[in-house]
Amino acid sequence: MPRFWQQALLRVALLAAAGGAIGGLYGEVWLGLFAAMLVGLVYQLVWLARLDSWLNGEDLAFLPEGEGVWARVFSRIDYLRQRARRRGKRFKALVKQLRQATRSFPDGVVILNDSREIVVFNQAAGAMLGFKNQDRGLRIENLVRNPDFVKYLRAKEQSQAVEIQSPLQPDAWLLCHIVPYGLSQKMLLVRDVTQQHKIEHMRRDFVANASHELRTPLTVITGYLEAIADDPQLSAELRAPVDEMQKQSQRMRQLVDELLRLSELEAEPGAVGGTRVDMRAVIETARQEARALPDCPATVESVYDSEQGLRGVRKDIQSIVSNLVSNAARYTPPTGKIVIRWWTTEAGAFLSVRDTGRGIASEHIPRLCERFYRVENGRERIGGEGGTGLGLAIVRHALLRHGGSLNIESTLGVGSTFTCQFPASRIVAVD
Amino acid sequence: MESEIFGQHISRKFNEELESLRSQVSTMGGLVERQLTDAIEAIVSADSQLGLQVASRDVQVNQIEVEIDEECGRILATRAPAAADLRLIVAVIKAITDLERIGDEAQRIGILAARLATEKQPADRYDELKTLADHVLDMLHDALDAFSRLDAEDALKVVEEDKIVDEEYDMISRQCITLMMEDPRTIHRFMDVSWAARALERIGDHAKNISEYVIYLVQGKDVRHTQIEAVREQVERANKILK
Repeated sequence: MPRFWQQALLRVALLAAAGGAIGGLYGEVWLGLFAAMLVGLVYQLVWLARLDSWLNGEDLAFLPEGEGVWARVFSRIDYLRQRARRRGKRFKALVKQLRQATRSFPDGVVILNDSREIVVFNQAAGAMLGFKNQDRGLRIENLVRNPDFVKYLRAKEQSQAVEIQSPLQPDAWLLCHIVPYGLSQKMLLVRDVTQQHKIEHMRRDFVANASHELRTPLTVITGYLEAIADDPQLSAELRAPVDEMQKQSQRMRQLVDELLRLSELEAEPGAVGGTRVDMRAVIETARQEARALPDCPATVESVYDSEQGLRGVRKDIQSIVSNLVSNAARYTPPTGKIVIRWWTTEAGAFLSVRDTGRGIASEHIPRLCERFYRVENGRERIGGEGGTGLGLAIVRHALLRHGGSLNIESTLGVGSTFTCQFPASRIVAVD
Repeated sequence: MESEIFGQHISRKFNEELESLRSQVSTMGGLVERQLTDAIEAIVSADSQLGLQVASRDVQVNQIEVEIDEECGRILATRAPAAADLRLIVAVIKAITDLERIGDEAQRIGILAARLATEKQPADRYDELKTLADHVLDMLHDALDAFSRLDAEDALKVVEEDKIVDEEYDMISRQCITLMMEDPRTIHRFMDVSWAARALERIGDHAKNISEYVIYLVQGKDVRHTQIEAVREQVERANKILK
């Protein structure tokens, strides 16, 4: 037993003994005992009252000294209180820091609860979406009413971000991304992408304008070259350079045309409807085109596992197939083989072009669809004339417009397979 | 965390119904805002396809109006709302009528845009029309925001704004008449332009109406057909009482 409890017990015993003794002198032992206990009880009550008034009083800093067990109780309570206060201060400082951090965040952050009501938002979000402080607790779709955003917000899962026009200025663009946060809350991240939008727009316009401007002088040059080449009096030593010039200007023309085509594809994003396309006709056209290329592989096969057609834009589908086939022909030796296959399953429609060329090293595959990207070592050019470096970029954009995707598999030295997948909704029966 | 005015029902379900009614109105508002933005864009960038797209999307606006109307009827019948709740339902029923009209005007502008796109573009690319449209679009946006926030003061600002829009409309129609007199060959085109301006001016009026419903909804005061000074006085007085 701790010493102070022993002391406390000793005191009670002494008090009882004193009370009993004084009572005994008058022959009333019990009465004396009772009076002594009463005095003890009142004494304890006085301390209890002091504790109460201290705890409820305003001046908490003034600590009653206490006596005996009470001193201990008082100091213990005071200690706990001070510790709680220190912790509270630390916690407050932490919250303040976090607040400051989110406030100075350049991107907008909005926290939404499970009924899509605004819980908190930072300064950037307020400025971009036009929120006021009083807007906490409002449903976000009541303030950000853009139909695209509302659709995105109500979707079950938000995998991709959505780009919307700013509710405040129609020519500003915001990229919104919703991520799950906490138990049932969601965090909306908003970024101002107006600048990127402008740059993208300018780039597209530039490419389209530049290609247009290049076309006119090129037509003049090819025209005159043709006239010179047709001239029977052309001296023999000039014949070869003129032929080469014709070939190169042809190539340049193709390049400009493809650049234009690409910028056209980029300018009209979003899915296209289109009409029924007969895949057999498309593939046969691509085969004939490939055969016309110099150094075309001996065998170009086409396999039809499906008689279904595809709903899409004929021009786009043709350029997808032609580009893939001519690419394969260009990088496959004359002894090699190309197989074009068309099939449909429940998962969608597929078109694959397999070649027995030299293959592509895996590190190049992710960048293959970039414009003008060239594989330096793995995929040397076999044919004399290379492509323009835009073919696969066109394929990718045309596929995107049809909701499709491109899959590339390749093994060095064995060959490559380019597979296009179209959504099942685009399959239509050939009549 | 429902808004204060409507958040005190015993029935949680009723609260949710009212909240989702408000959301539906916002959804409709968002759709209408987009229709108007696209219609203006179609005129300015001479994009006939976009104009026709706007015209064909008007069906969506009409459909959502019918849905909200039915929902209001259902709430009136089953919940028998009183006071602020009743005012909300009444305001919603009126506001969606105006929104639907705005949708119709946007559709008209879309069709006009498709027609104007086939004609010669003026050098200023319909600058005045664009200014008017931006103004009207702001009004509509602010009116819908005021509806979401139940903010009578913001609504009052929209009501005041309508005067400026009317003046701008007068200016455009005067300009159109002058241009038509100068060169009668352009009459056809400038008739279309002044029709578009007229549609925009009407949209401004509808946005003003929506703001007036907001004032009615928040303060229970009908401020239609009242002088603007009197309206402001009323709003300020009501604000003092509410505070």
